[in-house]
Amino acid sequence: MAESYRRSQWSNGLFVLPYLSFFLVLLVFPLFWGVWLSLHKVDLFGPGRFVGFGNYVRVLADPVFLQALRNSVIFVLVSVPSLVALGLFLALALNKTTRTTSFLRGLFFSSSVLSVTIVTLIWRFVFIPGDGLLTVISEQIGIQPVNFLSTSGWSLFSVGVATVWWCLGLPMMLFLAALQQIPTDLYEAAALDNASPWRVLTRVTLPSIARTIMLVTIIQIVMQFQLFGQAQIMTNGGPNGSSRPLVMYIYEVGFMRWDVGKAAAASEFLFLIILVAAMAQYVVSTRKSEASE
Amino acid sequence: MRRFLLSTAAVIALTCGTSAHAQTKIELQRFFGACDADYATVTDVSKAVGECGIITSLVNKFEADNPDIDVNVTTVEWPGYDQLNAQMASGAAPDVVSMHYSAISDYQSRGLIDPIDDVLSAQGISPDSFTDAARGGVTKEDKLYGLPFDNWTMLFHVNLNLMKEAGLVNADGTPILPKSVDELIAQGKQFKEKTGKPYLVQILANETAAYARVLYTLLQQQNSNFFADPTKITLNTPEAKNVVELMKKIKDEGLTTTGLDYAASVTAFTNGDGGIAINGTWLIGDFVAQSEKDGTALAKGYTVYPVPQLYPGQDSTYADGHSWVMPHKDRTPEQTEAIGKLFKFLADNDYEWARTGHLPAVKAVFDKPEFKALPHRENIAEIAQTGRSLPGAVQRQFAIQDIIGEEVGAAVNGDKTIDEALGSAESRINDLLANI
Amino acid sequence: MSKDQTTYRPEALTGNRTLLTIAIAFSVVMMAPVAWLVGLSIKDNKELMLGTDSVFRVPYTLVNYVNILYSSQAFGWFFNSLVVAIGQTAGVLILASLAGYAFARLEFPFRRTIFVIVLFGLAVPEQAVIIARHQMFNWFGLHNSYIGLMLPGMSSAFGVFLMTQFFKAIPKEIDEAALLDNASPLRIFWKVLLPLTLPAQATLGIFTFLHAWNDYWWPLISATRKEMFTLTIGIASSQTNFAQSEGLGFLSAQAVFASLPVLIVYVIFQRHIVTAVSGGAVK
Repeated sequence: MAESYRRSQWSNGLFVLPYLSFFLVLLVFPLFWGVWLSLHKVDLFGPGRFVGFGNYVRVLADPVFLQALRNSVIFVLVSVPSLVALGLFLALALNKTTRTTSFLRGLFFSSSVLSVTIVTLIWRFVFIPGDGLLTVISEQIGIQPVNFLSTSGWSLFSVGVATVWWCLGLPMMLFLAALQQIPTDLYEAAALDNASPWRVLTRVTLPSIARTIMLVTIIQIVMQFQLFGQAQIMTNGGPNGSSRPLVMYIYEVGFMRWDVGKAAAASEFLFLIILVAAMAQYVVSTRKSEASE
Repeated sequence: MRRFLLSTAAVIALTCGTSAHAQTKIELQRFFGACDADYATVTDVSKAVGECGIITSLVNKFEADNPDIDVNVTTVEWPGYDQLNAQMASGAAPDVVSMHYSAISDYQSRGLIDPIDDVLSAQGISPDSFTDAARGGVTKEDKLYGLPFDNWTMLFHVNLNLMKEAGLVNADGTPILPKSVDELIAQGKQFKEKTGKPYLVQILANETAAYARVLYTLLQQQNSNFFADPTKITLNTPEAKNVVELMKKIKDEGLTTTGLDYAASVTAFTNGDGGIAINGTWLIGDFVAQSEKDGTALAKGYTVYPVPQLYPGQDSTYADGHSWVMPHKDRTPEQTEAIGKLFKFLADNDYEWARTGHLPAVKAVFDKPEFKALPHRENIAEIAQTGRSLPGAVQRQFAIQDIIGEEVGAAVNGDKTIDEALGSAESRINDLLANI
Repeated sequence: MSKDQTTYRPEALTGNRTLLTIAIAFSVVMMAPVAWLVGLSIKDNKELMLGTDSVFRVPYTLVNYVNILYSSQAFGWFFNSLVVAIGQTAGVLILASLAGYAFARLEFPFRRTIFVIVLFGLAVPEQAVIIARHQMFNWFGLHNSYIGLMLPGMSSAFGVFLMTQFFKAIPKEIDEAALLDNASPLRIFWKVLLPLTLPAQATLGIFTFLHAWNDYWWPLISATRKEMFTLTIGIASSQTNFAQSEGLGFLSAQAVFASLPVLIVYVIFQRHIVTAVSGGAVK
């Protein structure tokens, strides 16, 4: 009986069909259409002509693209470790169920439910010169306020602060979940050995959640490479493009310069980067499920 | 169930049908800001101050006067062209859009906006009723592609109270303004010494337009023909270098506010944080209103002048203007007529718009006694002659402005050398123009 | 899934007092910007014009909130966001459950191949296909519609992947028992397995809802008419750089107002949300 249930039947495929049609029409086709566009000189409002790899050459020769790529990489290199470290710290600190910790968990996750535009509004009101919270504070204590949103270096940093504030909830929750899974006997054994808290952390806790750390890192890499709204609204990529991320470059080329072909070519580079990260994620997660089976 | 659905559909169709008969709906999309909190219900235009207040109450008044027309206003973030592009690409363009003269050629050259000659003539508006500068701004290939609304330039908005403190006021009460680069620096230093505040209030953060407009102005004053060929910019010139060096020097000597974005720079000037704000015509009305209030930093101490001639070449100021264009789309004759009525109303009320500080686009306004009575207008009357735009055939002027703002900003802030920045701006702009 | 939610841990290991104190201090820093926003929202715009340090002084006013009732379009934006987020979430849950069940439990030709291709879809970032997608939606006139805003998110492979894993985790004995009653695959799915995946549905639903709720780029270029603005785009449109004529107080009040409903829902369902998010992680 079970055999017939498992027997290969075309009709069983009907369960997959609805999703598959969405997948093909809305993801696979645009993916190939994007490649087609990237090989054409085409603007927002009309058909183009074939230019081969011309758009790719132009993208790679564009210092603004290279700068945006570098910004995105720097952003990921700084924001992801911050998110992982802070998330891990909070998870360790709140890994007990009391009133206070439940409240704090809720608090730290709450920013994640806000829209990006609310987040950027909040942080603009913190960072803007003159009226911002930080200016008011620095004037109270008598130090020269920094122009966070318009100084090279600080502007990307400010976008990063807003992003970490916004995204911190998820890593914390994932780490908390992982901490709950560590078998108690490991800790009991450690307690018998009279191990110091630090030793327990480095020898028991961290190794036990190593895969989660890896997974969270990769999820965050994928997410933070797609940075767009925060930078566009808070700094508009400035000053001098020093906070313009890759996705904003694509948006500007496509919708402000009308150069859809070039934007599509730049999109393919973004795709390649995420593809590599996603492959890494796949490898990590399959290793995990094999281990747990 | 089915019957219920059908009858509901019928009811909906009926109600929609009747309302469509009763009112012609037109979609108007504009920048100039959103100020519904203060002006959502104001129809008395004379009570409004500033661009946002005046245009909001103008549209309110038009709707009140024409109950059969419903103007559905969308406010976009300035200048809103990326959103307009997305709309046009998706066939969802609004009926009427605010557009800078400098942006018209982008859309006109691709047939994305319609000529409005017929709409105007149906309402009895003659193209001759507009000033030459205004008509020139919207005319492409002998057709009008927008209703001109104003002409504007950047200006020197002066805080006379601080200028007095700095000893930069003549016996007749007019401010002493620089006539050369050296005088600018000297007076700036004097101002800073006497008042302890920066001489200039500039928009140097999160903004590209101000850099570009100052650069264009000072290049024009040196007779630099940087767009001799409208498809190619020349910025690797001694003239351009002069300008950027001056801008950098002003910043390095501490003669300007730094790090202020548009809104912050307006607030800073209003609060008396600097002597002269380099900003547009559109703020005159706001600043005059401030100066009429006691106890403010500008109280009884505001005036305004064109950007002075700093180079011996010619007296010139970069000028542009706002217009209302009609994106290409299918419209009912009723809608076209409604737009025509709106255009007629806006042209007839161009005086109200000129209260912002903009130069009127309609000639007749200049002769109105009310206009002549507006404060400070005689000081800036000359910009009608000295205002110069980029050549009309130059496309993607907003994208060019962004590039210039970014690169010149980098040079002024010391992130790049002046030569690097100008070279990079030139090659980026030319790459953009070569790939249209 | 985590069945073992016991939290017995020897005191010295994690969650000790020092860490907790630091976390509390950190929470104060985290909340300061929000307090600042609320502070701005209860000040008169004209007073703020003269300097925002007046937030620390009386008088306070609710005039900005009153103004929202009269003039803000936030209600409409909120409704749009809600329709889009709920619609997209419902769509994803249906599509992903059906597909996840089939991939985990049924045999059909090319099952493995198709699954691998779908997994490959995980690696395609939305941003990389958005330009092409925008053009496609032009052809079909789907912009400025709820459907147009909901559809792209439904193609995400994440949900299918997640649901497949969840269906796999259900013991096979359960559907084999149902098979003895000669139940059809559809019946087994609907009557037997689907109820067991409710926690998974919650996890996926929350992720999808939040993603749709916070989406920025797609509505920015697709919902270009004011009537179709989502909350994200609406709030962005009112914080114009140029001619920032709505005062800081009004903008703040609008932001507070716009966030309140989600935050209230969050507080009510917090326990479930926490379990759901962690549930997704443990798998």
